[in-house]
Amino acid sequence: MIVPMGHLLILATILFLLGLACVIAWRNLIMILIGIEVMLNAVCLTLVGASAYWQRIDGQIMVIFMMAMTSAEVSISLAMVVYLQRRKNSIDIRDFDEMRG
Amino acid sequence: MALLLTLTLLLPLAGGVFISCFGERVAKPIPVVVSCAAVIASFLTCLGAFSAAGEGLRVVLFSWLKSGSFQADVGLHFDPLAAIMALMVTGVASLIHLYAAGYMHDDPDQSRFFALLNLFVFAMLAIVLADNLLLMFLGWEGVGFCSYGLIGFWYRKTENANAGRKAFIVTRIGDLFFTVAVLWLFKLFGTLSIETINARAGELGLVTVTILGLLLLLGACGKSAQLPLMTWLADAMAGPTPVSALIHAATMVTAGVYLLSRLFPLVSLSPVAMGAIAIVGVVTALYAASCAVGQREIKRVLAYSTMSQVGYMFMAVGVGSVSAAMFHLLTHAFFKSLLFMGAGCIINLAGHENDIHLMGGMRKRSKPVFLLFMAGLICLAGFPLSGGFFSKDQILATAFAHGDPFHLAIYAVGILTAAITSFYSFRLAYLVFAGDYRGEEQGHAPSGLMIWPLVPLALFGLAGGLINLPHLFGGHSWLADWLGQGEEEFHLSVHSEYLLIATAIAVFLIGLILAHLRYRRFREPAERVVGRFLLSGWYFDGLYERILVRPFLYLCRFVWVGGEQGVVEGIVYGFGRTFTHWGKLLRLMTNGRISTYLQGFVWGLLVIIGWFLLRSVA
Repeated sequence: MIVPMGHLLILATILFLLGLACVIAWRNLIMILIGIEVMLNAVCLTLVGASAYWQRIDGQIMVIFMMAMTSAEVSISLAMVVYLQRRKNSIDIRDFDEMRG
Repeated sequence: MALLLTLTLLLPLAGGVFISCFGERVAKPIPVVVSCAAVIASFLTCLGAFSAAGEGLRVVLFSWLKSGSFQADVGLHFDPLAAIMALMVTGVASLIHLYAAGYMHDDPDQSRFFALLNLFVFAMLAIVLADNLLLMFLGWEGVGFCSYGLIGFWYRKTENANAGRKAFIVTRIGDLFFTVAVLWLFKLFGTLSIETINARAGELGLVTVTILGLLLLLGACGKSAQLPLMTWLADAMAGPTPVSALIHAATMVTAGVYLLSRLFPLVSLSPVAMGAIAIVGVVTALYAASCAVGQREIKRVLAYSTMSQVGYMFMAVGVGSVSAAMFHLLTHAFFKSLLFMGAGCIINLAGHENDIHLMGGMRKRSKPVFLLFMAGLICLAGFPLSGGFFSKDQILATAFAHGDPFHLAIYAVGILTAAITSFYSFRLAYLVFAGDYRGEEQGHAPSGLMIWPLVPLALFGLAGGLINLPHLFGGHSWLADWLGQGEEEFHLSVHSEYLLIATAIAVFLIGLILAHLRYRRFREPAERVVGRFLLSGWYFDGLYERILVRPFLYLCRFVWVGGEQGVVEGIVYGFGRTFTHWGKLLRLMTNGRISTYLQGFVWGLLVIIGWFLLRSVA
């Protein structure tokens, strides 16, 4: 393994935190979705790294599954974004707080 | 005999229960007939059992309460005192029931009236015949309840309902003292049997007996409308007239006298209690007589006069003569129920007008009513040789015979009261009967059913002296002998007896002459301070209002506003408000934004990571 495991984990953590900050801070629904993708990819990176570190194939299989799952998720989420945009003519997350207590 | 006695008690109860249950469903005259029949039958059975009273008849119906050493039977004790009282109660009640049948003829609520009236007779007989204090107390409360129900009989007018409530509450104050006395007697003797208590009263210390005597006196004061618990009786006149005649003249108000006579062996052991009884009696007699002078409503005059006459009976007990008290109780029951029922007739004649200043000329309207009412009035005023004359004279003579300054003072106040009594009696007579009619209402003549029951009462009242005719007049003091008190009565020389009788006649004449001079021709009386003072009963109502009712209301308001609304509701609502407030704060966390929730996740994650870090460091 060329890249040390520690670097890889640090990179994955930074990516994850960036994605998390994006999800928490943005008000635009599409940007929130992008943040989620970034967080997922950070996790994928960790899995691939771990797979290489321990020389086992499970982690990479898992990443393949996650790619499939992510593409499905994105297609559904974007469809919902379009639907919400039609409904309120806005994709600002503050306009969709009907579930408040 | 036992059966007859039991029937005497139970017939009015049966009548009352029957009318309360079925009175509304049966045809109209049936409740009236049942009620009258029950009481008259009760009178007849009482008359039948009368001969057994000499030896004392005891009937135990069943055991009412039994717990450990405590036992209270529903038991009847028919001794001479109870017999004479029961006979009077049932007899007068029979006549008043007949009168009420005429008086209440058009009232839509007849069955309620007669049910209560019958229950009242039952409760009164329970007081009279009870052989233990608990049963007596049951009757005592029973008459209080019936009195309440009957004073407020026309409850749609607020002042009637209020008068009923006032009577009930004021007598309850007296009942409280009676209750304390009963419980204390039970603690002392372990039994409530009247006979045992009387027999063993000598074992008690003087202080105990004195306090017991005073407690019983206060209990009696409440029922008998004596000072200081007398304010209810004048207002009780809001009830129908037969009720005033039966309850507030003849029977219930004399229950206090009967109680003291019943427990006389106990009460008489304490000179202080006896003195207190005499003072209460004589002061009430004077107070009420003075108030009667100032009243304008015919029934209120009679109410105050009742209070005054019951005061005489208390005085008789206080000076140690049960027979004089019972003698006056009997004659008073006859002539005062006669007067009340006569007043009912007069009010009918005057077109339901109560004010004697708006009457006058009633003699021309109905001769029989005039004669009957005058028969009652001269008994009340103490016309020589009438029943009231002898009974009042005997009380005064007993007081006089003691000879010491205290009893002479009581005698003096008593004789002054007799003069005032004569004055207000004839004031009433002149205002009601003399001159021309001053009112505008056109009255209607009373029916025969309202006249005839008065005749026997008038005869009994006038000839009432015969049942206890003093030896001086050739009698044998039958009543005193019958009550077993013949020997221990007072001894006066013939000379002083004549002197007392002359004094009694003299004060009667003084009252008559004064009333004649003042009221022979009607003059509209000027509004004066004294008149208002007497009319309002010495402002006792206002006084009690100020020193008792208002402070009580303030206390209630304090407890309500300060205690209930301030403390209790403060605590409960405080809890509620606190949790609502916190709930609102917690609600802010669920603001519907995903980012906020995610922040929660992040904070949680940080806490978990921090926790693991701390653990790995430690």
